[in-house]
Amino acid sequence: MNRTLTHLDKLEDQSIFIIREAYSQFRDVAMLWSIGKDSTCLLWLMRKAFFGNLPFPVLHIDTSYKFKEIYQFRDMYAKEWNLNLIVARNEDALAGGLGPDKGKFRCCNELKTIALKQAIAKQKFKALYLGIRRDEHGIRAKERVFSPRDEDFEWDYKNQPPELWDQYKTKAAEEEHLRIHPLLGWREIDVWEYVKRENIPVTSLYFASKGRRFRSIGCESCCGPVDSEADTIDRIIDELRTTKVSERSGRAQDKESDYMMQKLRSLGYM
Amino acid sequence: MNAKTVIIGLDGVPYAMIKDFAASGVMPNTARLIDGGFFSPMRSSMPEISNVAWSSMITGKNPAEHGIFGFMELHPNSYRMRFPNYNDLKAPPFWETCQGKSVIINVPSTYPVRGANGVLISGFVSIDLNKSVYPPSLIPTLKEFDYRLDVDAQKAHKSMDLFLEDVEQTLQARIRAARHLWNYCDWQTFMLVFTGTDRLLHFLYDAYEDPNHPHHAAFVDHFRTIDGVVGEIAARLGESDRLIMHSDHGFERLDYDVFVNHLLAEKGYLHFKTGQDAIIENICFGTKAFALDPARIYLNYKGRYPCGTVEAAEAEAVLRDLESLFAALEIEGRKVIRSIHRKQDVYSGPYMDDAPDLLLIADHGFNLKGKAASDRLYSKGIFTGKHTYDTAFLLAANCDTSRLPAPPAVSDITRLFT
Repeated sequence: MNRTLTHLDKLEDQSIFIIREAYSQFRDVAMLWSIGKDSTCLLWLMRKAFFGNLPFPVLHIDTSYKFKEIYQFRDMYAKEWNLNLIVARNEDALAGGLGPDKGKFRCCNELKTIALKQAIAKQKFKALYLGIRRDEHGIRAKERVFSPRDEDFEWDYKNQPPELWDQYKTKAAEEEHLRIHPLLGWREIDVWEYVKRENIPVTSLYFASKGRRFRSIGCESCCGPVDSEADTIDRIIDELRTTKVSERSGRAQDKESDYMMQKLRSLGYM
Repeated sequence: MNAKTVIIGLDGVPYAMIKDFAASGVMPNTARLIDGGFFSPMRSSMPEISNVAWSSMITGKNPAEHGIFGFMELHPNSYRMRFPNYNDLKAPPFWETCQGKSVIINVPSTYPVRGANGVLISGFVSIDLNKSVYPPSLIPTLKEFDYRLDVDAQKAHKSMDLFLEDVEQTLQARIRAARHLWNYCDWQTFMLVFTGTDRLLHFLYDAYEDPNHPHHAAFVDHFRTIDGVVGEIAARLGESDRLIMHSDHGFERLDYDVFVNHLLAEKGYLHFKTGQDAIIENICFGTKAFALDPARIYLNYKGRYPCGTVEAAEAEAVLRDLESLFAALEIEGRKVIRSIHRKQDVYSGPYMDDAPDLLLIADHGFNLKGKAASDRLYSKGIFTGKHTYDTAFLLAANCDTSRLPAPPAVSDITRLFT
């Protein structure tokens, strides 16, 4: 049969190849599902790769501060898609009253990073699938499809396998865990075009209401909407073709003080 | 026509180094200015770090008047860090009060930029070029010059060659921008600050001291290039125009970084929440004092901090205990802290409440750090140089220096031209 591959077909094929290649190396894996459009798109690809039945758990890092739409969506589709859903929360920190009012950096660290560390330690995962994309954020441009993290969770971005011509280094040392990024080469607009083609459900937060919509979602306290009239997938795709606003412009955690801290640290301060 | 003023800032450069380079022929143009002008060691601000020192220089005020006490502060009633910037400067810089237009390039602690009568390009810690240039119409030109806000000091941690390449390219781009802006408007004051000097001194002080060091030539050449700019500028000035060169603090060889919070924790003054990282954010009850970079000591007053412990009535006793503790500190038989200052002895002004209760000045070779999570009292890292309080320099040509105290301080410089 003669078939002409579209741009989306090629992305889909490559992502499914990466998903299966990684699974052939690791059995103790899970996928991180933030319930956002990217990881939901990844989940869709996973279900295709494994013919509707994921052979590993789906992990949601729950800070307890997510939008209510996120929780509703999660519970509805976890059931519909028959997912083995693990909800990971840093219960100690939450019991101690930790929230964004105690410092955004600390809140993210405790409720996301440490909650994930705890889940990895408890479940003994050797690899994790994530739906990150290179064009989201400067630091993510340096990511690899197969990206090792050491025992301290550190990502040594200056010392990574090159991955030229799609040759992946899929092995991890004993003390490392590997992060697998099947969507790394997708752009924001690719995700939306794929959502449209496949009719993938996404939360209503992405669609404009009263002149504003969310382009990137996370915790309710730390995400701001962008000005937008895009209330359908087609209108979102049109908007992305012309916008100059960056995708994560509404995300507080990415702001300047982190860069300042990095610059001061490089000179020995702090 | 009023006399014009040109100020050339050399971040971190000590008096002795200028004297040395002037005498050895590395900085012949600077040597000529020394011959005909006023040249003296100068005191920095307390603490002797760039954002405090430059804020003091441009306002002519002390930290309790301009509100900048360090690179980081705590949010009110909290142990959370914040980074003060130009918006936190509570006194006007000289270019907002003096007559005529100004061109101000790369003064630390002027980010994010705000409007000025003339040109203002922010210096350290500037992040985004779009928020660092006034008027913004200059941004495309600066990009053409490959203008860089700052050297990427991360490079020095990886490769000294890459770092030096960046230092050189940043310097050249800064010079291109300065040449362009010299004729941009009819200015009264022109100020150009070189900050690559401070970066070199942090990482390569040893290269300055040792002629056989592989980077000695690169270090010296950096100063030779700057001296070329000094010569270029001096040649363009009229007979009555003022030329001022100065640094904001000095530098000397670093033997050990000393972690003040480690000492405070070891001696029972500082406690962290059980099982949590030893960082300021995790301070708990029982803490009497903590340090913020570099050696600003704050009493953990009840009512002022979430886990405040010190009652006003016991403050004097705690301060005395701390003074004895610091005065007695020795490492390898050497005294670590040269002098200890109470805030009312060094500051005065409306922002006294934000000032640290004690300030420490280190003795030779010791670099005091406020970093909390350190597992030892002292160590030697990648850095070979450290800031000094009393060995900055001031060189003034064609200026009335009779109003300067002896020795002058960085906050006295504006008296020469305003």
